[in-house]
Amino acid sequence: MRHGKYRFLAWSVLPGLALYAVFVISPYAQAFYLALTDWRGVSARQKFIGLDNFARLAGDSLFWTALRHNAVMLLVVPLATIGIALFLASMLNLAGRGGRAAIQGVRGAKFYKIVYFFPQLLAVSIVAVLWQFVYTPNSGLLNGALNAVGLGSLTRPWLAVPSLALPAVMTVMVWGSVGFYVVLFSAAMQSIPRDVLEAAAMDGANRFVTFRRITLPLLWDTVQVAYVYLGILAMDGFALVQILTVGLNGGGPDNATEVLGLTLWRNAFVYGRFGYASAMGVAMFFLTLALAALTLRFTRRERIEY
Amino acid sequence: MTLTQQPVARASAPGMASPPQLPRRRLPGLFNAFSHAFLVVWAALVVLPLLWAVVSSFKTDAEIFDSPWRLPATPRWENWARAWNQADLGQFFLNSVIVVGCALVLTMLLGSMLAYALARYDFPGSRVVYYLFVGGMAFPVFLALVPLFFVVDQLGMIGTYQGLILVYTAYALPFTVFFLTGFFRSLPNEIAEAAFIDGASHEVAFFRVMLPMAKPGLISVAIFNFLGLWNQYLLPVVLNPNPDRQVLAQGLAALAVNQGYRSDWSAMFAGVVIAMLPVLVVYVVFQRHIQAGLTAGAIR
Amino acid sequence: MTTSHLLPHVVQSRRTLMRRAIAAALLAAPVTGSLAACAIGAGDDKTTTVDRGSTSEANPLGAPTDKPLEIVIFKGGYSDEYAKFDEELFRQRFPGVKINHQGIQKVGDVLRPRFVAGDPPDVIDNTGAGRLDIASLIADGQLRDLKEVLDSPSIDDKSKTVRDTLLPGVVAKGSVDGTCYQLNIAYTVYGLWYSKPLFEKNGWAYPKTWEEMLALCAEIKKSGISPWTYQGKYPEYMNDPLFSMAMKAGGPELMAKLDNLEPNAWRDPAMVAAVEAIYQLVDRGFFLPGSEALSHTEAQNAWCQGKAAFIPCGSWLESEQKAVTPAGFDMVVAPMPALSGSDKLPGTAIQGAASESFIVPTKAKNPYGALEFLRTLVSKPAAKKFAELAATLPSTAGGTEGVAMTSGLASVAAMVAAAGTNVVSLNFGEWYPTMGTAVSNATGELLTKRIKPGDWINRMQKAADDVAKDSTIAKHKR
Repeated sequence: MRHGKYRFLAWSVLPGLALYAVFVISPYAQAFYLALTDWRGVSARQKFIGLDNFARLAGDSLFWTALRHNAVMLLVVPLATIGIALFLASMLNLAGRGGRAAIQGVRGAKFYKIVYFFPQLLAVSIVAVLWQFVYTPNSGLLNGALNAVGLGSLTRPWLAVPSLALPAVMTVMVWGSVGFYVVLFSAAMQSIPRDVLEAAAMDGANRFVTFRRITLPLLWDTVQVAYVYLGILAMDGFALVQILTVGLNGGGPDNATEVLGLTLWRNAFVYGRFGYASAMGVAMFFLTLALAALTLRFTRRERIEY
Repeated sequence: MTLTQQPVARASAPGMASPPQLPRRRLPGLFNAFSHAFLVVWAALVVLPLLWAVVSSFKTDAEIFDSPWRLPATPRWENWARAWNQADLGQFFLNSVIVVGCALVLTMLLGSMLAYALARYDFPGSRVVYYLFVGGMAFPVFLALVPLFFVVDQLGMIGTYQGLILVYTAYALPFTVFFLTGFFRSLPNEIAEAAFIDGASHEVAFFRVMLPMAKPGLISVAIFNFLGLWNQYLLPVVLNPNPDRQVLAQGLAALAVNQGYRSDWSAMFAGVVIAMLPVLVVYVVFQRHIQAGLTAGAIR
Repeated sequence: MTTSHLLPHVVQSRRTLMRRAIAAALLAAPVTGSLAACAIGAGDDKTTTVDRGSTSEANPLGAPTDKPLEIVIFKGGYSDEYAKFDEELFRQRFPGVKINHQGIQKVGDVLRPRFVAGDPPDVIDNTGAGRLDIASLIADGQLRDLKEVLDSPSIDDKSKTVRDTLLPGVVAKGSVDGTCYQLNIAYTVYGLWYSKPLFEKNGWAYPKTWEEMLALCAEIKKSGISPWTYQGKYPEYMNDPLFSMAMKAGGPELMAKLDNLEPNAWRDPAMVAAVEAIYQLVDRGFFLPGSEALSHTEAQNAWCQGKAAFIPCGSWLESEQKAVTPAGFDMVVAPMPALSGSDKLPGTAIQGAASESFIVPTKAKNPYGALEFLRTLVSKPAAKKFAELAATLPSTAGGTEGVAMTSGLASVAAMVAAAGTNVVSLNFGEWYPTMGTAVSNATGELLTKRIKPGDWINRMQKAADDVAKDSTIAKHKR
């Protein structure tokens, strides 16, 4: 290739890489090492204990409980988010009638796209505080709304019921995520050629068929990426659970909303077991990678050229 | 069953003549009504809690708890004043603007160069570099906090703007590189090739040709980075103990801690709204570009 | 053209993407040892040169007169104004000392790296959510024994030691295995709160025994008010009444058994009776519906609005509720009723704890200045200012003399005076934080009737046994 390539590569790659190596890779690398120690996190004292932390992890029932909850979240949060976002996005981009172009969004689509994105603008801590007021039993917005529409019998102390607490948390996650994916899917839908959809319409396909046979396959790659992003989100959930849920440091009632991030945080910062918590972090790291790989594998389909 | 079996035309470029009117089948009205209702309901679900926070910021604490649904008897502007003064939000606001602004510029500069190099050049180790960045998105940040403190401390940058800016940049890079690498790959090769043939250097090809072409992608990733960095809390808490250098997220946390002891919810809501407003403004002003950036691959 | 222009590389290389990332991560692992060795432990070898000033009657600890002093205060509900006042007191006596004051919220997050680096501040108010874990600090030898300051003469009365000027239980609460590491300057006692006018209006008398309590609750319920509410989001608030009753019934022996993780300690009859007593509240429907999901502020506000008659809380309640308490509410606190007629401690006995825990790190650069500052903190003028600003009881005896007393604070002072030396507390939650989590969860379940008193006992016995047989946890004795 042309000369000057390596000079250009050097100054375009090295500064960013150096910054990343110093501030991100080296601390993470140290955390990997700390997973092999009994470090308490309040002094420099640490003893190398090999894989003891990982052995302990295998017998830690709370860790497995948390893992189970993350697994549920991993299934429900992306599916619900993607489902709602796909529905909203197709309404906004493809469901409209009339005008000169036959396929377009509903009236006010622009407005909706702006509004739906709002939750994405809020810090997680603010989202958690807001939803605390939604769920609180006696003066909360949710029970208040149920009472107002005559469904008073459905009111519950949402976050204090073990079977409802995790769904309540997942609802908040879905609420906070849908907006982004509406925008993402809208972008993808905009690039679906109109004539394809219109040809389908002319062939007499109704909206459901068009969506299932044409829109969804054409969006599949985007959906896949969305699943990976949402999976990473569902593996975390720490801040939300810690602020929103019941119990000493959250995760309640009785560990019903315990998630890996919280177990890890609790071990490090409350129990003074930084070494053990680092081992959890390492486990989480590989789990996240493995899940991402699995997701991509199982959602593989033939690419569609058009 | 998939589209590949159907004879389909290649996409027509946007901006071409609109397709002709089509005979449209009317869908069941019930479904339409339901769908529209759902659009409205979702908008309400999204807006109501936020609106409620805004209204609450004008109430007294007693009003917030006694009648969460009612409007305040008189709007309490003093909540805002209290939040602004007591928590020193003015100074924090300025710090946030400085730190996030500088970090954003640096992130975009370093990130786009990295992504461009990774996307368009094959050099030894390029794959390793790329996956190092991708892997960085899968590890919980708080485990890196203590080691990170030592790194920043040894550079003498604890509690300084430059320390925070560099760290923010470093932690914003994985997503930026991930996103932009894909973006640069999707850009057509021909124009850069043409520039090279005209004798342009790699630098000129990048800054004069490729970067302007990538503008939609740059803007959308910049907006995501802005949102993420503006709301960043864990990193400044540890790296930024200096009260004069604290950012808005820290000021808000102070308000939240205080309400845990003093029940000053109204000031907390005022603080929440104060922190929310600039983000909202940035979003509403630039929102068109977010979708444009995401769609850019198609409208190039 | 394909739809994969959205982040297309993910799709294009999806088969190799994650495999490569994993490989990269594994590659990074072997180099970690050397990296870690250079950063963590950086400041460990720093030796602190202690320059101690010359001792005198005015300066018995020998605080240096010119060495800077770094003080970090938890800036929470009590703010840090009181500390600034105390620093001014200190400055008057040591004008050459430059004081570096910081008021912060997340004490642990901010100071942990400095402890690891061996560069902690001189004085720390280790308080609030997110404080440093005391058990770990002690296990790693990071805290200084405060014996010197406790045995030094009080600033106000040279004939007394600082230890003698502190209220009962303060030194014990800050001690582990006989060494005092924490000086708690706020004296927190726990009890049951109610509105005096509300009770007078209805002719309700505060019950002396649990039997009377249940009878009164039935009466209160008939009047349309819920008898109790509690801070259900944090169920440990209900542990205070629960353990208060258990300890009154079982006496100091029970406390020692529980804290020392003795086999079957939790099956003690007094402990069982207390759990069954508390369970009656939920079994008979005496709680405000929905209490189990209320945050502390929400529950306390509901109580202030007269939706419930009793709420358990520590002595900070009045100042916490200041902004939302209706005029004429006049809250007062009282000790938990006696569990039975054969309790080992008198009915006036209360559970005491302490907050605003001041510590001095072993690696403090100006330890004698730090100790002298602690001595200033518990002096009478400082204690009075604290009582005034924080509207709470200081740990120094007589610290509220001459301070205008509100209804609640006056009742706290009276309750403390009546209790005398019968102020009890348990340490297992602080020594063994996993048990703190376990007891919070168990009580939360008990109060929603999802478990029975017997299950509660079994859970706690198991949590204690688990700690007892875990060799990685340092054990303590009381």
